[in-house]
Amino acid sequence: MENVLEIKRLSKNYGDFRLKDVSFSLPEGYIMGLIGPNGAGKTTIIKLLLNLINKDGGEVRIFGRDNTRDEVAIKTRIGFVHDTPHFYEQLTLKNVKATIAPFYKNWDDGLFCCLLREFDLPAKKPFRTLSRGMKMKFALAVALSHHADFIILDEPTSGLDPVFRRELLAKLSSLIQDEKKSVLFSTHLTSDLERIADYVTFINQGEIVFSAAKDEILEKWAVVKGGNDLLDETNRMFFKGIRKREFGFEALTSDAAEARRRFVKNAIIEKASLEDIMFYLTRGANHA
Amino acid sequence: MRSLILKDLILNKKFLLWTGLLYFIYVAVFGSRIDNPRITTVFITFLCFIMPVMVFTREEKLKGTVLVCSLPATRKQIILARYVLGWLLMLGSFVLATIGILAVPGSKLGPEDLLNARIIMFALGLMALYFAILMPLLIRFGMVGFLVFLISLQVLGFITLALVSQSALKLNIRSSIAAVKNAFIFLSSNLGTPAYYALLIVVMVALNLASFACSVSIFKRKDF
Repeated sequence: MENVLEIKRLSKNYGDFRLKDVSFSLPEGYIMGLIGPNGAGKTTIIKLLLNLINKDGGEVRIFGRDNTRDEVAIKTRIGFVHDTPHFYEQLTLKNVKATIAPFYKNWDDGLFCCLLREFDLPAKKPFRTLSRGMKMKFALAVALSHHADFIILDEPTSGLDPVFRRELLAKLSSLIQDEKKSVLFSTHLTSDLERIADYVTFINQGEIVFSAAKDEILEKWAVVKGGNDLLDETNRMFFKGIRKREFGFEALTSDAAEARRRFVKNAIIEKASLEDIMFYLTRGANHA
Repeated sequence: MRSLILKDLILNKKFLLWTGLLYFIYVAVFGSRIDNPRITTVFITFLCFIMPVMVFTREEKLKGTVLVCSLPATRKQIILARYVLGWLLMLGSFVLATIGILAVPGSKLGPEDLLNARIIMFALGLMALYFAILMPLLIRFGMVGFLVFLISLQVLGFITLALVSQSALKLNIRSSIAAVKNAFIFLSSNLGTPAYYALLIVVMVALNLASFACSVSIFKRKDF
């Protein structure tokens, strides 16, 4: 299985924020969710992939090529959606298309028109008159209209209504059916990822916490609920995050099998959702 | 590069048509009131050089740089397109402004005053100089860079005037200007007109290539 994206020891220093030795990869034909709280470094990674910012160290390979040396060849095969679409506000959608289409050899006008119809977008309206949801739809239509092999989306669902969020997720799922296209999708809405992601990379404070197949993550991580008497020093060390309450505790572990062995009868062990994992590993709970 | 230039033309189509038209009328009317071809040339070239500045700062105003840098184009190509488009706009505006000045009824200058090799070379030299200095500033600081450029020109003018009013320095400044003028005359008479113009063109190209290299280096280091 070839990797469409390979990131090795990527770093960027902003002074007050540092992306530290980020490494992960995405196999061809899959959807990867990049999750983390606000300010974790998701957008920084995406900007580094698109060369919008300069890296301080590390390596980014897309389609097996260096993203700075083979920038044009790589970007021709990439579709992108930024968290805030940066299209020219005063131009009509038709004219925005006219400014972008010549950059792509594989631009498909027919497909673009189809997508405009499918997303109910008015070609003759200026971009600035669109709602946030419609702007996102348009950005997605542009990203898909040149038959990109790799789609990069930065928080595409934030601020969108649930109906379009579902439509967008369905669209992304249908995209990868040919097993050639891949998607990297950053979000802090974990429910979106549970629906469609094959792989999940979790980033917090500029560091990768884990990057693995979603099913493997959901199998390995668990939430343990029990009485406070169970919280001795050894068990505290075992947990990744603990939330103490008056009558008991809830804690997150990355070793569900060991938790089942350790707390056979005296605790409840539940599968952890991505939201649970994000909550316990960030500011939401006391760390063990 | 063609896609980048096309993008700027689509983006600035209305602006170039309407503002450009008013601007053209303004330059033609005021230019036709001046009776000195050299002063007219300084006036036209400066106003023509503002044309690309307005186009490029609009990109900044519309926050389009993130989009452009996300598209399949290297930063070097983006800057190259700006230089090419900048020169096309300057030359186009210069041609239109010259025609406009000559076409205004009662213009104080005739075709023989403006349409000669010496004046055209002078105009090209001024545009090359303005453009080469301003572009790196514009790319580094945006509109602020343009203002810095304008203020620097004014400050330089004030300093020169102040120095000229001091009798002790008067001679030096006059002699410096005369020395530069003499250098050009010396080159022109020794090289012969074609070689002299060729040398001037080489200098202008070299100046713009150096400016281009500087702009690329600045733009490559920028984070968006």
